[in-house]
Amino acid sequence: MSENLSVPEHREIQELLGVYALDAVDPETAAMVQRHLAECVKCSIEVSQHHEVAGLLANSGGESPAGLWDGIASQIDGSVPPSWERLAARLEPAAGRSDRTVPGGDDADTGTVANVVPITRGRRNRWVLRGVSLVAAAAIVVALVLGTQVHHLNNQVSALQANPLLSAAEQSALQQPSTKQVELTSKTSSTPGKVTVVLTSSGTGFVEIDQLRALPSDKTYQLWGVIGGRTISLGLLGSDPTVVPFSVAGDGSVQAFAITAEHAGGVVQSQNQPVVAGEVTA
Amino acid sequence: MDVELASDANLVVAVGRWHERALAEVYRRHGGAVHALARRILRSDPPAEEITQEVFLDLWNHPEKFDAQRGTLRSFLLARTHGKSVDYVRSEMSRRKREEKTSRETATAGYDIDREVWDMAVAEQVQEALGALPDELRQPIELAYFGGHTYREVAEMLQEPEGTVKSRIRSGLSRLRVNLAERGVQPAGAEQ
Repeated sequence: MSENLSVPEHREIQELLGVYALDAVDPETAAMVQRHLAECVKCSIEVSQHHEVAGLLANSGGESPAGLWDGIASQIDGSVPPSWERLAARLEPAAGRSDRTVPGGDDADTGTVANVVPITRGRRNRWVLRGVSLVAAAAIVVALVLGTQVHHLNNQVSALQANPLLSAAEQSALQQPSTKQVELTSKTSSTPGKVTVVLTSSGTGFVEIDQLRALPSDKTYQLWGVIGGRTISLGLLGSDPTVVPFSVAGDGSVQAFAITAEHAGGVVQSQNQPVVAGEVTA
Repeated sequence: MDVELASDANLVVAVGRWHERALAEVYRRHGGAVHALARRILRSDPPAEEITQEVFLDLWNHPEKFDAQRGTLRSFLLARTHGKSVDYVRSEMSRRKREEKTSRETATAGYDIDREVWDMAVAEQVQEALGALPDELRQPIELAYFGGHTYREVAEMLQEPEGTVKSRIRSGLSRLRVNLAERGVQPAGAEQ
């Protein structure tokens, strides 16, 4: 229940959940319910359940209209975040470059590198939320690239970690004068952790995990960054990562990094405290 | 990733990474249901097609709005479709056009819509579950969901107090969920 509502007010809104789920309320009432849902997990779940039932009522086994897809395809922007292209190019062997693809390509998921880490959405950067100070906050509220199954992700991460080119690329990044190195540390002695983030001026970077306990297979670590006062997801790291690349949109002016432990599919909004965190110094 | 074998959740992840093929697969799986619902509410093809396109373009631009922990992709897409369709219906101009169209085309449109909406494996169970609801619970749900009416309008149509309609819709949806579960019907668009 929302902390800002009394029990009677909460009950009043509960009574509206059915009609809200069917869009049978006026815009003002809908906005009021939405404000409540943002704070009340119980009511949020009930609305989701009503949506599922309504979805069944509406369900149809009919084929998707073929002609409509052309209209959709013509309006989407399939371009690739430039920073990701740079990272992929750095990790690819020259001889195999033509065989690899990057997100947005025709066969993106066949490429080992392109498969590894969900990244921020480049110049469009739609994942951001108004930030909560990462280091000071007890809980991080973030917008996150939706997660994938951890088993799948772990396979991808393992494949990348086995790639000797990654280490070479990391060493190359470390030699650049503008590259920043950030130590992420645990704020509690009960959960020791040592993580180093290497971030180049181009926005590509690496996470080196030295001391983080392996998570169960149904969990994953997630990397977050604070950019321009906003907290964004930089990707899922897997349950037992060692070295993982990531990419930041724009000039990579990250103010702080943090890693949280989440369930395997990732979360849209994390309420967990960072396992490790660190601020980027000038 | 073979998109045809990927789960809905994984497809949305791929959409978040701008994989057009993933969006195409989402469309292949759910475009028919989205279009059928929009068409049922709007009773006209051009706006239904427009809304179908909007729903998938929204997923392309804002995949983060889908939370796999909160429900299936299909129920998410259908909820978006319903909201957009109802907004359209409630605009003054579209309402006038719809009323004129309804009087002319009810008979033919009714057959077409029913065939599209109910032509699925679980249609029989869904109909049974809906039919098992008392009329006082079923009617307001149908009027609100398929008619695009607000609960206040439904109350007026059924000549019942607004509070009663509000409660009945909520109770009806909850009971419908139980009825469907008893018939072994899983949530729409269950993960593959």
